[in-house]
Amino acid sequence: MADFNDRQELNERLSLIENMIAEGRQSTQSWGWTFVLWGVAYYVAIAWAHWGDAAIAWPVTMITAGLITGIIAMRRSSGRPETKLGRSMAAVWISLGISLFLFGICAGFSGHGDQHVVIAVISTMLGMANATSSLTLRWKPQFACAVVWWAAAVVSLFGTVTQGSIGFLVAIFLCQIVFGVYMMIGEAREARQLRSRSGKEGPSHA
Amino acid sequence: MPEPMAQPATDLPELNPIIHGKLRLALLSLLSTVEEAEFTWLRAKTNSTDGNLGAQLLKLEEAGYVSMEKKFVLRKPQTLYRMTESGRQALTEYVQALKQLLGAAIES
Repeated sequence: MADFNDRQELNERLSLIENMIAEGRQSTQSWGWTFVLWGVAYYVAIAWAHWGDAAIAWPVTMITAGLITGIIAMRRSSGRPETKLGRSMAAVWISLGISLFLFGICAGFSGHGDQHVVIAVISTMLGMANATSSLTLRWKPQFACAVVWWAAAVVSLFGTVTQGSIGFLVAIFLCQIVFGVYMMIGEAREARQLRSRSGKEGPSHA
Repeated sequence: MPEPMAQPATDLPELNPIIHGKLRLALLSLLSTVEEAEFTWLRAKTNSTDGNLGAQLLKLEEAGYVSMEKKFVLRKPQTLYRMTESGRQALTEYVQALKQLLGAAIES
């Protein structure tokens, strides 16, 4: 008991628990790069469809971005443990990806893809995924992204084609590129803090 | 008004010696955040050696705090560890006891 009552040692044990819990949670939080990647992919697809072959631009770009995301995510998550929260987040974004792909392909090939409606549906779905993620993670900045996407959907339905397109391009920039970079900076900062903390108080022995 | 008396030492909780070891405590804390974790991930997070990590995980397994499963993924062997319900309960009780002891240390 005398050893256990040593306040310093007890504090160290408490810090160790906190650090290890933070370390465990850290493994599910490196996804900023996917936002940037998909933002760039949307821009590539839009530019390709505008100046090149509109029929293949979106399917080819989306499939390529999907494959790149899958390969990098698999390599990054190799050996990392799964959490319920991580699986919930993956479920939201995978479902979104499948829905967008199916909708995009059908809208493109059926000939019923009115530009106002296509942009509004895509923006609404992206808004919903961001809002779900934000409410689950209790992360306000991501809810701001959801609001921007929903605003883009409203502008697309009530505005002209040009206004809708500009709204969509702005939403991609803010919610994919800027938000992705913001996430990456946050993740890098958090990783640095964890490294310095675990360096000071690592569990060196039994 | 009389000053509150310090809690007698006999009322203070005992810390579970199986969990109190630094590496075992780190392992249980890590496992509490995930569903299951590979041996290699636990080794990287705790900066421990294979031998020491294996020995401490075995102690936790013998105490019923973690369960182990060996399987093959793409022909590669994987050793997965998962925290059991009694492990979660023991860690919760350990943290409560730790806080109680710290409170008593501050008061005394």
